[in-house]
Amino acid sequence: MMAETAKEEKKLKFGLFLGCNIPFSRPDVEVSMRSIFPALGVELDDLLGQSCCPTWGTMPSIDVVGWCAVAARNLALGEEKGIDLITACNSCYGSLNEARHKMLTNPEIHRKVNEILATIGKKYEGKAKCRHVAWVIYKDIGLEKLKESLKYTLDGITVAVQPGCHFLWPSEIYPDREKDPFNPVVLREICEAMGAEAPHYSKLIECCGMGALRSTDPEKSFILVREKMENIKEEIDADLIVTTCSSCLIQLDDAQERLRKEGKLNFSIPVMHLVQVIALCMGFDPEKVAGICVTPRDEIIKRILENKR
Amino acid sequence: MEMMEEGVPPVINLSKLAEREETELEKKVAEIIKELGAERIMYCMQCGACASICPLAKTGFEWYNKKLIKALIVGLRDELLDDPTPWACVACNRCTEVCPRRVSPFEVMFAMRRLMAEEYAIGSLAIEGLRALYEYGHAVYMTGREARKKVGLPEKPPSTESDPKALEDLRKILKQTKLADLGLIPME
Repeated sequence: MMAETAKEEKKLKFGLFLGCNIPFSRPDVEVSMRSIFPALGVELDDLLGQSCCPTWGTMPSIDVVGWCAVAARNLALGEEKGIDLITACNSCYGSLNEARHKMLTNPEIHRKVNEILATIGKKYEGKAKCRHVAWVIYKDIGLEKLKESLKYTLDGITVAVQPGCHFLWPSEIYPDREKDPFNPVVLREICEAMGAEAPHYSKLIECCGMGALRSTDPEKSFILVREKMENIKEEIDADLIVTTCSSCLIQLDDAQERLRKEGKLNFSIPVMHLVQVIALCMGFDPEKVAGICVTPRDEIIKRILENKR
Repeated sequence: MEMMEEGVPPVINLSKLAEREETELEKKVAEIIKELGAERIMYCMQCGACASICPLAKTGFEWYNKKLIKALIVGLRDELLDDPTPWACVACNRCTEVCPRRVSPFEVMFAMRRLMAEEYAIGSLAIEGLRALYEYGHAVYMTGREARKKVGLPEKPPSTESDPKALEDLRKILKQTKLADLGLIPME
């Protein structure tokens, strides 16, 4: 609703919601967002004073109203300015929109949240929502404009897409939805628009095993990484994994190196967040927009930078 | 040999338990779970759609969605408190998407976490996340300063890290939640 109004008026504007993974663990993703959106004509507000969304292992595990209250304070930072939030982290996308859905469908929760917010002089009406970077690129900016903005393309590169769980489910709580959340096409189409081959593979929608699963039982978590990596290698022999989730990014990048060290994997596929790939293709400094990784990226970055448009 | 046998946990026979008369306690467990957010738990018909796509069921966790729901409906509680399964749930919500009765097994998993938190059956990692949330406003708080500098960003993001008033507001919110009632972390 709010995004549409903004589009009609003139310029797209969003509150840049960072979360925790991105600013502290993968700040090159933050630089990518801060680089590509202004270049695509989207204004970003810093949303000063934002906090953790709150992520699943914190308030959602303690208390529904407490979860919604922390989320509502973050959403209110955008609502006060008449803008939606934008995130590159699927967990933030899930937790914020899930909390919003609870407040909009349960007046009792919404009332209690606003009672709490009143004690800090704030309120949340339910207008501002959290948008996902991939959806804003796909729907609000459009693939044509994206293509025009590129200096380099992904021609000749095969990409394995990893949308991640909180890009898809539960579909009813999200502001933007795939036609079939069990056969997602948005990330594939974005990568294809940039010149890549982005074929389907059997385990495309499988979980990466990050988050609570990894912190509870790393060995079980790495089973999922290994199966996904092997499937990507066997079925499409991808040159690059592109994800829309900061957790999938960290997990697939980091855990495949662990599996190699343990002798459980004998190949390597670089992993990048979608916004990093776009930033590289727009010609931004690779050290700044894609400089932090465990699995080496040098070769794929070199290949991309040879693909002058 | 005897030592090993002692270490084998007893099998909990859910089918047998389901045949019992409903006791006050059993009624209470499902009611508690409902109050903690899983309002539709009793609509479960054990079809198993949720288990068929659950990453926890797939990787061999003991009390994955379908089985946990059955256990709670038949009134199990104390036997489940030591199990880590609910804390491994990635909240992926595949189960919510496919449930034909709109139970939202994810909500049951998280209601179970909330029940476990009330009983202080909560791991040190979760406590650490809550403490960091209160302390800094970021649950996943790593020493990312060097990485931020390396890519040319200011040391602190424009979050509660850079805005003491916002951190104060967040703490004030947290003090009005169950987190404070339970006293899980020091709050000044």
